[in-house]
Amino acid sequence: MTTSTGSTLTVLAEQVTTIEATWDDARPVVAVAALPDLVGWELKSEGLCRADACVPLSDRAMVERHGGVDLVAAAAALGRPAIVDVDAGLVAVGAPADERHRALYDRIAPDFTLPDLDGTPRSLSDWSGRKRLLVAFASW
Amino acid sequence: MAIDENIEALTTLAEGVTYPVLVDADHRLTELYAISNIPTVVWIDENERITRPNAAEFGTDTFAELTGVYCKPHMDQIRAWVAQGTVPDDADHAIADLEPDEIAARLHFRLAAHARRTGMADVADHHFDRAVALAPLDFTVVRAAMPLRDGDPFGPAFFELWERYRDAGSPYHGIPRAAS
Repeated sequence: MTTSTGSTLTVLAEQVTTIEATWDDARPVVAVAALPDLVGWELKSEGLCRADACVPLSDRAMVERHGGVDLVAAAAALGRPAIVDVDAGLVAVGAPADERHRALYDRIAPDFTLPDLDGTPRSLSDWSGRKRLLVAFASW
Repeated sequence: MAIDENIEALTTLAEGVTYPVLVDADHRLTELYAISNIPTVVWIDENERITRPNAAEFGTDTFAELTGVYCKPHMDQIRAWVAQGTVPDDADHAIADLEPDEIAARLHFRLAAHARRTGMADVADHHFDRAVALAPLDFTVVRAAMPLRDGDPFGPAFFELWERYRDAGSPYHGIPRAAS
């Protein structure tokens, strides 16, 4: 197992965030304090927590590495897929599978926030209480 | 919801529209809602319930001969839903979840699009290749990548994709439509 010195990692999740990370083989390890900004959950003794909710970790040693957090393992514990490009210092973290399953199986529309054409962030829930037609289109 | 990063083209397309246009440059909705082609339309009611899931519906009949889908029946269904709360029979169709490869393709696409925007052309190429290999019939991956790789999304590569898609039985995460 090799641990490299710190380098820059750009994380593509809900936002694009560039932070310092170390590498454990091909796995990026980030500071515990950086995790909430990346995936919205923080590492506590109970597990991964957000507000009052905690996800217990079945194998804490998988997530906690060298005093930091294995970002891919933490994402996996939250049901989020991730793909790493070690050479480019990039990692893409996908949405929790649960959210898509709520859409497909429970028919609950997952909320999301995206910029409009002027760059103003807008959310599906901004129009809550009204019928909405979500139209996915493109210029291609 | 534009599954697209070309703001200039989108601004032209959206000229005169009175509803909000959101820009999903990273294709987050194709993962969150299992969208594999455009246009895809989802009906969402006042209480965040999906009344009618993913379906290919059009605002005009420009592509009706190619797709076999005309816009008027859908527009009439929407009017009936809004006015009387009527829901079409096909609304309980179950949409299949994304396969692991389709999810991975979306993440590779996101890496590629970011790499391209930040001037890492070789990194972008590598991840576009991976994305296309993992989801070779997904228009939000294969066709969306064309203009980002200096390809023509309305050229021969598109028609080649369309033929492969048809030959494979038009796999689509949505209500199946009778293609002509």
